[in-house]
Amino acid sequence: MARSQALMIEIATGDARPISKQIVDGIRMKVATGALALASQLPSVRGLAQQLGINPNTVAKAYAELTAEGWLESRQGLGLFVAPPRQRLSRAERDKRLDEAVSRFVHDVVALDLPAGEVLARLDLELQAFAPKKTA
Amino acid sequence: MSDLVIETRDLSKRYGSKLALRHLDLQVPRGRIHAIVGANGAGKSTLFRILLGFLPPTAGEARILGRDSQRLTPQDRGRIGFVNEEHTLPGWMSVQAITRAHQRLYPRWSQRLFDDVLGHYHVLPAQQVSQLSRGERAGFNLALALAQGPELLVLDEPTLGLDVVAKRAFLEALMYSNLSDDCTVIYCSHQMDEIERVADNLIILEQGELRNMSPPEEFVARVTYWVADIPFKGPDPRTVPGLLQVQRIDGLHHYLVLDQDESFGDFLHAAGARSINAMPVGLDRAVNGFLAKNHAAPSAA
Repeated sequence: MARSQALMIEIATGDARPISKQIVDGIRMKVATGALALASQLPSVRGLAQQLGINPNTVAKAYAELTAEGWLESRQGLGLFVAPPRQRLSRAERDKRLDEAVSRFVHDVVALDLPAGEVLARLDLELQAFAPKKTA
Repeated sequence: MSDLVIETRDLSKRYGSKLALRHLDLQVPRGRIHAIVGANGAGKSTLFRILLGFLPPTAGEARILGRDSQRLTPQDRGRIGFVNEEHTLPGWMSVQAITRAHQRLYPRWSQRLFDDVLGHYHVLPAQQVSQLSRGERAGFNLALALAQGPELLVLDEPTLGLDVVAKRAFLEALMYSNLSDDCTVIYCSHQMDEIERVADNLIILEQGELRNMSPPEEFVARVTYWVADIPFKGPDPRTVPGLLQVQRIDGLHHYLVLDQDESFGDFLHAAGARSINAMPVGLDRAVNGFLAKNHAAPSAA
């Protein structure tokens, strides 16, 4: 009786991101793209740990962070579910993260020496792919 | 009941003129998986021999599960499981005979856990230990140690020499068997990918001293990698703050540094750097850089 949805994420050791961060990023991406639909159930802590071959405490840590950020919600005795979308971070936190992301992006892209228009057009295309489907 | 499974105070061990442990103060709290890493000769094996009562300390004291390690009773030893890289078991005995002996020896024996762990391996009861492969012996040893219901499980390089499948089976058996929550695991290994997967806490020993005790990701966050384009010689390595490693590759200076923030960029600027790049590193590079700093090396040319 598998009620939780398959969670297709992979982690890599040797990465500069700790494993728990890789899980957080992976699940956020699945939720943001709709691959994990609203109200679907996440694998158990132990189940995901076993799937990824890692310590269950690491999964618990990632789940706690996602819950604190509002991506997941816990239902008493049932497990963890994808939470309804709402603004998950404060405005200040979002500004800060956007600054960091833009700075990283600019650093990488500036080295490519491509016309700014081409870069922006490409970025726009990629972002459109993540635009929320307004049907929900 | 003490909240510390391992507690050493000012513990030293001297072999001739060499200090294997130097005034070591180590406190390992109960529960979870603690990885201990250190270069060869960092004092890990000496520490375990003292903790298990096989070796007396030169000075200081060592307590394990709240008991003086030099006065352990057979009951105390029954609370400690130990698996080492050799996986030594009497080769002429059958799996069944050894299992029966352990069943009698340990009052907290869990047959269910034993079957659970050994189920990861193709081991038959009638087989002689000498007929088992290295991986199967590792699995059998782990099954024996876990089924004994230890409060403290010490694993010393348990996956050394195992192939990838046996290694994975070993880690699965360790992490997903229903170990009781109050079992503390001490995991010694040089394999950073394993440590990244299993460890809640990272203990680094170096030349007989404690150098780190924190979750692995907190340790990794302390180490950063910088590449700077510095014309000519670059600063004297002795003046570089937090320096772990420096290399000159294709004319660029590569620095691995500890506990440095953005101000390290200012330092490089002041040293004449034209371009500066920084990035975080993974556990493997962080630990290796940290240990390489004081690792014995031929004196620089």
